[in-house]
Amino acid sequence: MAAPGAALDDFGGAEAHADYAGAARRNRGFRAGKSVASYLVLVLFALIAVGPFVYLLSPSLRQSYELFTYPPQWIPHTVYWGNFGRVLHETSYYRWGLNTFIFATAVTLITLVLDTLAGYAFARLRFAGRTALFALVISTLMIPTAAIIAPLYIMISRLPAWTHAGVNTYLGLILPMVCSPLGVFMMRQFISTLPEGLVEAARLDGASEFQIFRRIVLPLIKPAIVVLGIFTFMMQWVNFLWPLVITTTDSMKTLTVGVASLQGQFVTDWGVISAAAVMTMAPVIVVFLIFQRWFVQASMAGALKQ
Amino acid sequence: MSAEETEAAWNRLTLSPDQFRRASSRYRRRRGSAAYLFILPYFIPFLAFLVVPVFWSIWLSFNKGGILDSPHFVGLQNWREIAGDTELTGSIKNTAIYAVEAILLVFTLALLLALLLNRYRKGSNVFKLALYVPLLAPAVLVGLIWQFVTNYDFGLFNLILTSLGFGRVNIFGNGTLALLTIVFAEVWRGLGFWTLYFLASLQSVPEELLDAARVDGAKGVQRFRRVTIPMLRPMLLFAAVIAIIANFQVFDTVYVLTQGGPYQSTSTLVWFIWKRLFQFQQTGQGYAAAVLLLGIILVLTAISFWLLGSRRRHERAA
Amino acid sequence: MADILIKHLVKRFGKVEAVSDVSLRIADGEFVVLLGPSGCGKSTILRAVAGLEDADSGEIVIGGRLVNFIDPVKRNVAMVFQNYALYPHMTVFKNIAFPLQIAKRPKDEIDRAVRRAAGILALEELLHRYPGQLSGGQRQRVALARAIVREPDAFLMDEPLSNLDAQLRIQTRLELIQLHARLGITTMYVTHDQVEAMTMGHRIAVMSNGVLQQIGTPQDVYRRPANVFVATFLGAPPMNLIDGALESADGAWRVRAQDADVLLSTDVLSTPELEQEIAGHSDVKLGLRPEHIRIGEAGQGGIPGRVRFLEPVGSDLYLTVEAAGTTVQVRTDPDSPAQPDDAVTLHFDPWRVHVFGADGHNLRRDAPPVGSETPLVQAAS
Repeated sequence: MAAPGAALDDFGGAEAHADYAGAARRNRGFRAGKSVASYLVLVLFALIAVGPFVYLLSPSLRQSYELFTYPPQWIPHTVYWGNFGRVLHETSYYRWGLNTFIFATAVTLITLVLDTLAGYAFARLRFAGRTALFALVISTLMIPTAAIIAPLYIMISRLPAWTHAGVNTYLGLILPMVCSPLGVFMMRQFISTLPEGLVEAARLDGASEFQIFRRIVLPLIKPAIVVLGIFTFMMQWVNFLWPLVITTTDSMKTLTVGVASLQGQFVTDWGVISAAAVMTMAPVIVVFLIFQRWFVQASMAGALKQ
Repeated sequence: MSAEETEAAWNRLTLSPDQFRRASSRYRRRRGSAAYLFILPYFIPFLAFLVVPVFWSIWLSFNKGGILDSPHFVGLQNWREIAGDTELTGSIKNTAIYAVEAILLVFTLALLLALLLNRYRKGSNVFKLALYVPLLAPAVLVGLIWQFVTNYDFGLFNLILTSLGFGRVNIFGNGTLALLTIVFAEVWRGLGFWTLYFLASLQSVPEELLDAARVDGAKGVQRFRRVTIPMLRPMLLFAAVIAIIANFQVFDTVYVLTQGGPYQSTSTLVWFIWKRLFQFQQTGQGYAAAVLLLGIILVLTAISFWLLGSRRRHERAA
Repeated sequence: MADILIKHLVKRFGKVEAVSDVSLRIADGEFVVLLGPSGCGKSTILRAVAGLEDADSGEIVIGGRLVNFIDPVKRNVAMVFQNYALYPHMTVFKNIAFPLQIAKRPKDEIDRAVRRAAGILALEELLHRYPGQLSGGQRQRVALARAIVREPDAFLMDEPLSNLDAQLRIQTRLELIQLHARLGITTMYVTHDQVEAMTMGHRIAVMSNGVLQQIGTPQDVYRRPANVFVATFLGAPPMNLIDGALESADGAWRVRAQDADVLLSTDVLSTPELEQEIAGHSDVKLGLRPEHIRIGEAGQGGIPGRVRFLEPVGSDLYLTVEAAGTTVQVRTDPDSPAQPDDAVTLHFDPWRVHVFGADGHNLRRDAPPVGSETPLVQAAS
């Protein structure tokens, strides 16, 4: 359906003696055709987006050798659940899931604490060097992990034992990922939008800076915290390069690294690989469908940060 | 007289300028110190894991070894080595080709879909959700999923070809096709994001402006060209910046889909860095390439900020 | 309870001097209004007293204590903000109780204090609402309650009425006057609204460009403006200014302007510096309030002029008259028969006249005597 305003402009310049009814009829037909075509395009791309996930289900429910039959079987005659069992029993899938959860959750929680604190200071406190320090944070926004991965690896692998951080440790996995400049930037921007008067009123009411942060600012930035939280979790959930480098034992891999390693381990066993992929995607899609509104905001926050 | 004197003297200062200055800076320091406690927890990991590694990285590029053993200084040798390394120049070329193709394709499609979604609101939520789903998949998984699309024996693409009566294509045996597969995989993953981004940008064009153009007699296409596009330009520019920077770091899909092959035709810059550092133990070349990546990203960022800045200056002057 | 002394206060923002050497003394229990256009530095003074801005130089003394280097809360002043600054995630009760909770007062004491403050401002029914559920006037009262619950030594109010609609503003103005009468707390009140300033302040401090122009009772400031800025800022329509030349004439003074020749007695202008003023440059401005001009028919003496516009505002009629080489605003009877393009004459009592020297200062020695009906000098034209 075209908006009434959109329909109007086609008549805006029409002459007084024009055949309104005929023009309208022709126009309606043209318009209907156009909108059908538009919807077809949308449907096509929706199918392209979702299709591969659905297609993935098919090999996961078949014996791997059935993949190579000709003509191809799209829908398995008999549903074969064995691929899922093999993923669970022949790989460290549970452990990878747990590792990913621990890794992403820890990074998210630490990031939220650090970034809200720093964001508040940059947004609302005055101190010597504020501009310079914030400029330093901003200037690191674009630094790729790949460019600093060697020193990060060397640093973590050489940490003394008492730190409990190193290659194949949770701390080693987590620590280098907790200093995202983007989070500080987002929090500062958001806190800057709070009325200045609120913080000043609390200051006059006798609240210390930490009390102001804890009792006034934090409750008011809950939406931003949720957005940054989802954003950070997603970033770590898809993180590949750092876990790939810093984990070498099977039991410390994250899901991304673990599932990627299946390719080598089950060279032609595509049933198992697809089952693992299905198992990895299914919970995320469910969570996404529940919290979709927040997800969209979170991914936009990463881009529309200006 | 004395009453008048006190009357005249009430506004006499009690502190000398020097005393005032000292008390003032003491007071500011005390109040400012709270702020440092707020930024300290962030700045410790920030300095340790982001700022220091940048300089460390640069220093390492003049060294060999270091990952398993201790580094030893070799001067400019690494830089000389990678300067003549056709694999590196090839990787940079591949990355650039990949980035240009992926960005052009994804922007065109996303802009088209955003325009359609903006115009046809009915049911647009379902489409948005569908387009968003690939974004949830880690790039590694996207790579795996695309194996099922592109596999020689059972891939969806080849099945469609054979059912149409064509022969199968060994996609990963052909460098151009392999690189295109990576382009398609990343475009598939990013399409939802960019569609939503452009949709948000489109909806941020003030309705009054479009109404004003309507009153001035501008037709649909004219309105889009004369009002919407100029209003969108800063956002498009910004999108291009982050897309270029993000795509220059493509790695995960390469790792899963092609491992840089065939014959390094899909080797990208980050793939090259990773391989030299952690697979071949040719760390010196890896260090230098990493600094090269840093330099490229910084130059791209600087150019884009300059573009954005000059645009703003231009607008302010207008 | 405390007096407030502001001594030679200077505050700069970058290169801009927002407050230039302002000194101000506010007596215990006094209600002083800082009045001026936006950006004149009045809010900056208030924020410096509160401790939200640091003075670059100059001292602030509250109740005999130098507070420049004391934390805001320990200055024991309460501030009411223009947009109220209520904590949106707290109920009215919690908003009012917040300063006491921070001070860790016992719970029953907090409860009593909040209810007392709520009682004073008629908020008992609203204690469990959130700020978002309140009208503008109610929010304003919550902000006041939060200010009085701490029993501060002084109130600092930053345009507290400017977010209310006209009707409510008048009502709240009266409530604020009553509240001050009841509590007797020293109050600094910032506004750009001259009606608020005239009706509420014991004294008005008029600011412009960071400089204190004049301080005095509303009557003083209105009747004897210190300079051209004050003269034209107060009063609606503002005071008329007519360019003229000052001369001495037989032990008196005379101002000549186009079509006008005003003789002024030494009772009006008698400062000894006046001879120098004339010697320097005799250019002056003649100041006349619109309500002090009477309209006469053409050819009746007085300054000839022509009516340009009529602005009836109900209780009065504002006439814009072209006369004496400029446009003059006249406030007159709404039933006046004047029509556009009418030729009229303007009449006034010379003792009402202000004369501003070349530097803008008022050369009058005193304000015109209150209630004086006898013209001191006859108009000559």
